[in-house]
Amino acid sequence: MASSVDEDDREPAMESGEADEEIVVREVCANGISIKTTEVEAKLDEGNIQEAESSLREGLSLNFEEARALLGKLEYQRGNVEGALRVFDGIDLQAAIQRLQPCIAEKTPPKKGRLRSESQHAVSQHAANLVLEAIYLKVKSLQKLGRVTEAADECTSVLDAVEKIFHQGIPDGQVDSRLQDTVSQAVELLPELWKQAGCFQEAISAYRRALLSQWNLNNESCARIQKGFAVFLLYSGVEAGPPSLAVQLEGSYVPKNNLEEAILLLMVLVKKCYLGKIKWDPSVMEHLIYALSLCSQTSVLAKQLEEVMPGVYHRVDRWKSLALCYCAAGQNKVALNLLRKSLHKHEQPDDVAALLLAAKICSEDPYLAAEGVGYAQRAMSNCIENEEHLKGVGLRLLGLCLGKQAKMSSSDFERSRLQSEALKSLEAASGLESNNLDLMLELGVQYSEYRNLNAALQYAKKFIDETGGSVLKGWQLLALVLSAQKRFSEAEVVTDAAMDETTKWEQGPLLRLKAKLKVSQSLHMDAIETYRYLLALVQAQKKSFGPLRIVPQVEDDKVNEFEVWNGLANLYSSLSHWKDAEICLGKARELKEFSPEVLHTEGLMCEGREKIQEALAAYINALLLEPTYVPCKVLIGALWSKAGPDALPIARSLLSDALRLDPTNRKAWFYLGVIHRDEGRMADAIDCFQAAAMLEESDPIESFSSVL
Amino acid sequence: MSSSSSSDDDSPAAVEPTPAEETAENKEPETAIEEIAAPADAEETTPTIAAVEAPVTKTSSRASGSGPVVRFDISQSSSLTTIAQTAIESLIPILPNTIPSSLSSAPNPALALLNDLETIAQITALLRRPTSGAGDDNLCRWLYDTFQSSNPDLKLVVLRFLPVLLSAYLSRVVSRRKSLAGFEAVLLSLYAHETNRRAGQPLSVNIPDLTHPSIYHESISPHKNNATALNLAVISPSLEPHGMVRSTKRARIVGVALELYYTKIDKIPETSKIEFCEFCRIWAGDVENRGVKKEEATVAVVEEAEEDGIGRIPLPWEILQPILRVLGHCLLGSNSIVKCKKKERTALFDAAIGAIRSLYLRSMHDINPKAILATGSLVKLGNMAMESADEIDYTEIPYQTIINL
Repeated sequence: MASSVDEDDREPAMESGEADEEIVVREVCANGISIKTTEVEAKLDEGNIQEAESSLREGLSLNFEEARALLGKLEYQRGNVEGALRVFDGIDLQAAIQRLQPCIAEKTPPKKGRLRSESQHAVSQHAANLVLEAIYLKVKSLQKLGRVTEAADECTSVLDAVEKIFHQGIPDGQVDSRLQDTVSQAVELLPELWKQAGCFQEAISAYRRALLSQWNLNNESCARIQKGFAVFLLYSGVEAGPPSLAVQLEGSYVPKNNLEEAILLLMVLVKKCYLGKIKWDPSVMEHLIYALSLCSQTSVLAKQLEEVMPGVYHRVDRWKSLALCYCAAGQNKVALNLLRKSLHKHEQPDDVAALLLAAKICSEDPYLAAEGVGYAQRAMSNCIENEEHLKGVGLRLLGLCLGKQAKMSSSDFERSRLQSEALKSLEAASGLESNNLDLMLELGVQYSEYRNLNAALQYAKKFIDETGGSVLKGWQLLALVLSAQKRFSEAEVVTDAAMDETTKWEQGPLLRLKAKLKVSQSLHMDAIETYRYLLALVQAQKKSFGPLRIVPQVEDDKVNEFEVWNGLANLYSSLSHWKDAEICLGKARELKEFSPEVLHTEGLMCEGREKIQEALAAYINALLLEPTYVPCKVLIGALWSKAGPDALPIARSLLSDALRLDPTNRKAWFYLGVIHRDEGRMADAIDCFQAAAMLEESDPIESFSSVL
Repeated sequence: MSSSSSSDDDSPAAVEPTPAEETAENKEPETAIEEIAAPADAEETTPTIAAVEAPVTKTSSRASGSGPVVRFDISQSSSLTTIAQTAIESLIPILPNTIPSSLSSAPNPALALLNDLETIAQITALLRRPTSGAGDDNLCRWLYDTFQSSNPDLKLVVLRFLPVLLSAYLSRVVSRRKSLAGFEAVLLSLYAHETNRRAGQPLSVNIPDLTHPSIYHESISPHKNNATALNLAVISPSLEPHGMVRSTKRARIVGVALELYYTKIDKIPETSKIEFCEFCRIWAGDVENRGVKKEEATVAVVEEAEEDGIGRIPLPWEILQPILRVLGHCLLGSNSIVKCKKKERTALFDAAIGAIRSLYLRSMHDINPKAILATGSLVKLGNMAMESADEIDYTEIPYQTIINL
């Protein structure tokens, strides 16, 4: 194999026609005799094939076919393909093939007669090679003359002949190496010829024939064909259809479309590289990355990348690719850990792309936000030259991380500092990326969370305009902002408009909004009606949501049935319809046995029926399930605040704690005000009531952050 | 261009519709109408429905449910040639300039039209007019009708204009000032065709797992458990009928139209693909090249977009994925590869690599990891293709100074 590679390396000189004049064929050899070619060439140049042939026959004592084959090869190597074709046309190749078949019959494996049988093989294989090589050279000549369809037909006949000669496929190690070379080359050439001829279906069959029959190809040439086929399947745009039933073995994986077949071939190639059977080819992995990310199968891709042998990729490059894969597959934690490694000060701490991805991951988690701020700042300071255009992205992520960090901050001062910085960064980012629509939405949400409702409204409207209303989140934000401004009927108009722009399947979140809007307007019966509609949708979705259903635009589009029942229970209990409320709550509990939300509703119902102890128990249980569940904290505080002066300090600490977690909880402010009043601190009480009143004026029906 | 399309002409598939196509065609017109009429039944009537139906006034009488489908006065028996000739005739009054008469007399008029650069340019110019795409746009009506015909080559003619139609539609639809019902009707008919062809089924891919043996490799897995779940990837979810373009479904409808474009990509003329690449660059927002590098052929396209101040559009995955499949073909599809080996990069290759670079930058801006992976790999593959212009040809015989028998 090594020698053949060496020979191959010399080929480019052969390919370009001009170089031929310098390198002249010197000798032809046969039967132990060799003669100079100059004389023969001169005859050929005169167009005297017969004379050239006879001089070879005499000089080397050859038969007619042998002489012709030699002459053809000589002409071909001189670059005179037309001449070669004329010489080959003189041989009846089909007849020669016919004659070959009885000579090489079945193999005779017994070891006794080995010597005899081997010599016999040698002779017949020699004859076979003579003929097949002649046809092959004819094919190449035709190809060079642009007669590709004829070439492909001739090439097919080479393969047909080989298949007839070796019924059982070509046995390993029993074939003359020159014959094997010719066969391998013909196998590899055929699909290329069909492709050049524009006959794509024939090309596909040729590829499959090459890969699924026994040609005894060496690893490298098999790999080249596999790669060629994979590339063809991926990019040609011609649908191959599944391979024929004949090649399908039971229990083996049979690809059914182009992507499946291409991915399979690429995976097989990658595996061959690990096993050391073939050289590493970077393009194979790139094709696989392309194919698998098109299928959104980045977790499979991650596995493939992890299996790549050390030394192929730089470790940082591998970590970064893996991080992209895991992040795309939703495994942000793994991705972040990989990025942390690659951004370590001894690795590549200044890599902008990695820094931005890390910041993006951190911006989604309040606990990581502070770390994300660091990444975003580092990214910005490294956005120079070619990467300067990414500065806006850095600023945007900085703003998002700061906004998240603000949520976790323990002091008011710190929080407001972070919030204003966050807004400043986002505004600066939008100056650099005025046409970034995601940023527009994020600014809208950020402003609304800080209760700057006018600015939020502007951004929400602009976002809907610029997206042409194509993104559901925009509609949701606009409705929420309007609801916070207590413009309920307008919010409802927006929700209805949004429903017109969505299909029934995706109206869940909008219906939920609508129900809550109805509740806010005290239109309880309408709200119940909307909930009923929502439940019908949930039921229908449950029936038809198989694994293949539409991937909704919003992830939680499959409206949470639990949420619906719990919302209804809440609604009924506010109407003192205890029985209905109980039923709904029961349904909710069936779906989620231990949830603070259910306990919250249960407590409210007990409280409504003056069962204070039970209510308290429910609230406390909710807190035991989720210690940061603010609504129950506030409610316990409220109950304690009514339990006499001894309980006031406990109530106050509970409410303060709730406000630390959610500084915009108006109820917490209100009850804190009540406590201050009862304890005689009027100034504090006034402050608290004022805060509560202000917040009430800008309270949305759902949390703004539910949009993002 | 001529090289690619002429080779396509030879392939039998281009001339004769495959049985599958034919059956789809036969069914299609009715379904399309049903779908257009569907919203009314489903009591989802909105002002836009009327607008969408406007350009297909010819269908409206049939939408009410009676009579056979008659288009261009075609009976099922009339030959594909006649259909194409009728379509070309009905195009004449729409275009400002005349159409060469050689088109109708060509052996395959539809393919002649597909490859007639002058007529194509006329239609393109009409589509790019600022007033195009309204409900009463005759050209849109022609495109709609032509796509309904049973001649597969005529369908190709319509698909050939998908890039320019999308560019006009997507950039204008945001401002929502004008009705684009004409464009939407054409897009909906493409969507309906694809829905029909797939019977609404999703496109999915079973990701192979090498621990199981396959036709291309053996595996000595100890547990021969075929039931092991393969990774099932849905590359295009199931298709619901749409009678109108709801804005949240616009991306999906456009994406499916692009999927249809991709299924015919090997028969689409190269000029259309080049246009597509240019538009992708504009849609991506083309961060780096804006105003800096304008290739001669595309100056008009780019400038126009910049004048309108429109460029970057939202690129959700449902649009981006088919775009990337088309661009992969433009970059590495057989035609450009063959030519690439001869060291001369084709115009299509250049356009594709430009578009892919822009999309790569765009996905960096969006920090969209999946898109970064896909576009990044295409950028690298494009670079590799440019570098390896003179690959070793392993099918060449080794050169010898001594020829042995």
